[in-house]
Amino acid sequence: MNIDIAAPYQTRVKQALADDNLRTALERATSRLSGKRAQAVAAIDLQRMRDEARAIKEHAIKNLPDLLEQLERNLITNGCQVHWAQTADEANDIVTDIARQRGVRRAVKSKSMATEEIHLNEALEDAGIKVVETDLGEYIIQLAGEPPSHITAPVIHKRAEDISALFQRELGMRPTNDPAEMCAAARKQLRSEFLAAEMGISGCNFAIAETGTICIITNEGNGRMATSMPPVYVAVMGIEKVVPRVEDALLLWQAVARSATGQDVTVYFSVSSGPRRPGHPDGPKEMHVVLVDNGRSRILEREYADALLCVRCGACLNACPVYREIGGHAYGKTAYSGPIGAVITPLLADDPKTAKELPFASSLCGVCREVCPVKIDLPRLLLDLRHDLTELGAPPKYERAAIRAYSNTVEHPGRYNRLSKLARWFSRLLPTNKDGDLTRLPPPLSAWTQSRVLPRIAPRSFRALWNDRGGKGMGSSNDG
Amino acid sequence: MIAEARVWVLRTMDNGSTGAREQILGRLRRSLEKQEKLFRKSIGQDLPDPPMTVFPSPTDKSLVESFATKLVELSGSCDVARAGTDVAEQVMRQVREWTTQSPSEPTEILSWAPNELHVPRLEQTLAEVGISLFVPEDLHDQRIRARAASLNVGITGIEAAFANTGSILLSPGAGRSRAAGLLPLNHLVLVPLSRLYPTFEAWLLKLRQEGRLEALLQEGGQLAFVTGPSKSADIELTLTLGVHGPKTIHAIVFDDTE
Repeated sequence: MNIDIAAPYQTRVKQALADDNLRTALERATSRLSGKRAQAVAAIDLQRMRDEARAIKEHAIKNLPDLLEQLERNLITNGCQVHWAQTADEANDIVTDIARQRGVRRAVKSKSMATEEIHLNEALEDAGIKVVETDLGEYIIQLAGEPPSHITAPVIHKRAEDISALFQRELGMRPTNDPAEMCAAARKQLRSEFLAAEMGISGCNFAIAETGTICIITNEGNGRMATSMPPVYVAVMGIEKVVPRVEDALLLWQAVARSATGQDVTVYFSVSSGPRRPGHPDGPKEMHVVLVDNGRSRILEREYADALLCVRCGACLNACPVYREIGGHAYGKTAYSGPIGAVITPLLADDPKTAKELPFASSLCGVCREVCPVKIDLPRLLLDLRHDLTELGAPPKYERAAIRAYSNTVEHPGRYNRLSKLARWFSRLLPTNKDGDLTRLPPPLSAWTQSRVLPRIAPRSFRALWNDRGGKGMGSSNDG
Repeated sequence: MIAEARVWVLRTMDNGSTGAREQILGRLRRSLEKQEKLFRKSIGQDLPDPPMTVFPSPTDKSLVESFATKLVELSGSCDVARAGTDVAEQVMRQVREWTTQSPSEPTEILSWAPNELHVPRLEQTLAEVGISLFVPEDLHDQRIRARAASLNVGITGIEAAFANTGSILLSPGAGRSRAAGLLPLNHLVLVPLSRLYPTFEAWLLKLRQEGRLEALLQEGGQLAFVTGPSKSADIELTLTLGVHGPKTIHAIVFDDTE
């Protein structure tokens, strides 16, 4: 990884843009995923699917407290233990305590964005518990000591050669770039982890309130292994994941699969409603569900309920022209990148200003809104966030001075005229490229020309042209 | 959107789980009551009534053909037992194909209890060629777990199968381990025709009508929808099979209605 996720935003973006391997990998992966999505949604009544998915999620958020209470009741009836956590620290303490009380030394994890968000692995490791990520992509980045760079394809930024080198070093695999061989090496290692772990941890794609059920989507089967083999199973879920009925979970599962990877459905959909029943040969002896807020109720308070509709399919990342150039790590220390990440990262933060650049990392082209299976108006949310963040923190002094000077100028035609004449004269002294665009402006305007050109100021102003024609437009002399 | 900056300030949070529960639910309720317009642009529709069938269902082909075609597309395979054929023999031949060492050598395969597979004379037919079924009782026993994990073939039945996606639904229970369809590299799945549905939605509708859906979910511990062999495209988007679950899945559809 050539991006320092703790560096300032501008530095991260520069590092990403300078990394040719990263950009090649991103281009390949995002085009492929976008293409597969396009095919898969062309085969169905897309508008109807989006309307249904949206209606389900709107209903869920509108009735969130009641649904959570219903879910809790049914989970308890099913023999689960339910825990509530307001913050990441609370959630991590709950899981760590469960592990400690049961003498857990090894835990296996199925891929989960919520646990990335709260940094559960670090908390467990601090408590002396070994945690192994079991999704192949997550396992690779765990070995490399990196965060995921995509919601559904966490290792999108690595080439096969990079992964091979890592496996040779960490697993003693023989040199090969064959994905099948690398996969077999990981299977062997992870299989022994699954069989030995005392605890399995998963996230939650959907929780069904009417039956008290936690649903996990995977293609590899690691979700099913982690929720079936270890004696203790802990599901960590964001509180916005609850849906009312079984039918809703099945519809959203299909919507996510088509939007994320262009599949009809994912290979595995594991639907857990409690620990194993008496007489069953396998399955966890106990099941815990940790309901995590960690900023979600504040998103609602901050009047961004739209952001809670997200089903984490990653379609907006694959479509976004900005994500496709810079990838996930350029979005900084956050589990969520791309357009949806630019919205929820500042919203989930205690201080939104810590991620104040992200809502500006978008051209507002609107393609994210088009591909979203639950029709989130992401460009609208990004604009609202830009507004709110500007209100929240006063812009820097020089910016305020510049805006004051600008409004003083454009509000007075005389001043505007004199200044634009001066600028036109001055611009002739500056270097240009073959198209006549300005390539180097003096400071502080040089910030603009460091990464782009400024079109040359027209030789004559509109006002001058207008006066030449006696105050008449082009077409006015012939047909009035 | 944000009228007052104070909303952005992190509130002092109460510790302790009960406190957390009341705090979270209270905050959600207060926000929901306060906001008349919750979403930027609401879709203005209520919860849709099932069936929400937006996905194409099989039309020109029979259910069995659709199921088989889909499973093959997913890198699985499927045999359809014709009327009058011996399903047990067919199972035996498939198991032999996967366990090629030497035909005379005794072979053990991980299995559901024979009475859960609904194939007459299955255990005897397999025993005649030296194949025995290992039906684990408690996989939390380390010795049983190690033995189950060493086996190459798993046999299961199904709760239901779905023609338009090539999916099967596994429901664990006494004599029906999760491990049999999960640990071995090869999964042989026996699909009685009476349990094959065109779509998830058709199945959901039937279970709702019969009032069985909630009980099925709650009594099973975990239901698993499985659609083809385990796969990943995490390494440079190259499809690889058998990442954690089975690498091959072979279905035998047979008529159990006669």
